[in-house]
Amino acid sequence: MAVAPVDETLTLAELTRDPYPIYKRMRAETPIVQVPAANRIFLTKAKHTKMVKDDPELYSSDDPVTPMRRAFLAHTLMRKDGEEHRRERMAMQPAFSPKVIKTDWADLYRKIAAEYLDRLPRGETVDLFTGLCGPVAARILAHILGLDEVSDADMQRWSQVLIDGAGNFGFADEPFARSDAANAEMDAVFDSLIPRHMAEPNNSAFSVMLNAKDPIPRSQIYANIKIAIGGGINEPRDALATIIYGLLTNPDQLEEVKRQEAWADAFEEGVRWVAPIQASSRRATRDLQIDGIDIPEGVTLMTIQASANRDEDLYEDGEAFNVFRKKAPHQAFGSGPHHCAGAHISRRTVGEIMLPMLFERFPGIKLDRPEDVVWSGFGFRGPLNLPVKLT
Amino acid sequence: MVQITFVQPDGSRTTIDANEGASVMEAAVSNGIDGIFAECGGAMMCATCHCYVDDDWRDKTGERADGEEIMLECAAAELRETSRLSCQIRLTGALDGLVVHLPDEQA
Ligand code: HEM
Ligand code: HEM
Ligand code: FES
Repeated sequence: MAVAPVDETLTLAELTRDPYPIYKRMRAETPIVQVPAANRIFLTKAKHTKMVKDDPELYSSDDPVTPMRRAFLAHTLMRKDGEEHRRERMAMQPAFSPKVIKTDWADLYRKIAAEYLDRLPRGETVDLFTGLCGPVAARILAHILGLDEVSDADMQRWSQVLIDGAGNFGFADEPFARSDAANAEMDAVFDSLIPRHMAEPNNSAFSVMLNAKDPIPRSQIYANIKIAIGGGINEPRDALATIIYGLLTNPDQLEEVKRQEAWADAFEEGVRWVAPIQASSRRATRDLQIDGIDIPEGVTLMTIQASANRDEDLYEDGEAFNVFRKKAPHQAFGSGPHHCAGAHISRRTVGEIMLPMLFERFPGIKLDRPEDVVWSGFGFRGPLNLPVKLT
Repeated sequence: MVQITFVQPDGSRTTIDANEGASVMEAAVSNGIDGIFAECGGAMMCATCHCYVDDDWRDKTGERADGEEIMLECAAAELRETSRLSCQIRLTGALDGLVVHLPDEQA
């Protein structure tokens, strides 16, 4: 019996700037630690984060006070457990399968990727983050979801507004006013697209859910699409930017990746190195213990996959980007019932399509000043800019 | 203990001893078998533990679990009659000697 040690001084600002040295210290000294600034107990070891995520009965995703519910105007699958969760999840999962991607989408994605690459100017410095990573992630997702008619700008704006609302832990009015407005816009667009998807059933998530034999309620179909908008743009965008950064700052590895066409390995290493979603919350459903430390009922645990992905138990020199390291399972896509629905899609779109096309198109691509790249984020993390010269 | 043999796409075979009550996925992961990723840890949410049950063992491994079918549709490799998610096959004494084949891709 022992109460978890308390880290009184740690602030969210420090975690947002660079959490990695902090997590490294925690893994060594206080792997299970209370952080009052976040009002949560942090779990930093891979074995603990995985155990918690794999056991939804003891560690629930259902957070009764989540701002997410208010932002989405619905209780979404991300915060549900058990049968209800499975039903809503499986309603859209078929649209995200590797086979559908291969048969229905791969050519279209290549076309989209080529189009966005064509637009990039050669010989001058461009910000790939805003010029490529964001828009291409938005366009691809629009097609997967069946929202072909929606612009990149609207997709990205809705996504950010939903995320800001879901992260509005202080329940301020303004972010919810913006999410309410975005919800109204999205509902109107979804309403207008229903006739097309009913008349011409296709493999997009919207169509698959609408035309199912035993469809889930319309309100939950809408909520699912919104979750995918909120969760399906920033992560692939950040993953792509992170991997490009990793490769450009390690030219030996880049050469070897090209030679072996090891793009899939580069993808896995990038999301391991800096997990786009760094942490996920779970609530203890009863009084528990983890490794002899008391976990009181009702407490919120922060399972930190960012830290698990660099755990010394699994990785040698885990702080470094190394595409050719000894393989070990990472948790960048989570684990357990809430394992990312978009994992297959992201591997195909970012790993198999975007990365090789970018480096083939611009063999002389250069990041002259890596120190200008700004990294930020505690819940979500990635570069905020990526100024490269393309040749 | 029961024995399980995993056959890789190139034909190479690895035989391991596993505890009854564990799943085939758990046995594979704890023995470091290549080709079973099991990213969702057995929650039937990832289809990266896909395997093909050897024809001789299909009766003994039984029917697919409720909900397994739809997740199998999301597997990366070809779906066959013998396809199962290895996290949904529980080991019993009757499965001593089980042979499963691994697909050429999982993710
Ligand atoms: C590299 C890109 C991505 C990463 C690293 C990532 C990561 C994650 C993680 C860690 C979770 C689990 C959250 C938790 O445990 O509470 C998750 C859930 C989810 N992701 Fe992703 N994601 C990515 C791309 C995508 C894409 C492209 C989509 C949409 C098509 C998507 C849709 C979802 C959905 C719907 C969930 C919720 C699943 C559930 O609660 O059952 N993700 N993602
Ligand atoms: C008590 C302090 C906070 C903690 C512990 C915390 C933790 C987290 C975590 C772990 C996530 C990841 C996604 C999830 O599990 O649902 C998240 C999401 C987010 N947080 Fe925070 N956060 C805090 C405060 C804030 C604040 C003050 C802001 C900004 C004003 C913010 C902005 C966000 C945003 C934008 C998201 C994305 C929402 C989503 O789509 O899931 N957070 N937060
Ligand atoms: S381990 Fe994920 S479906 Fe079996």
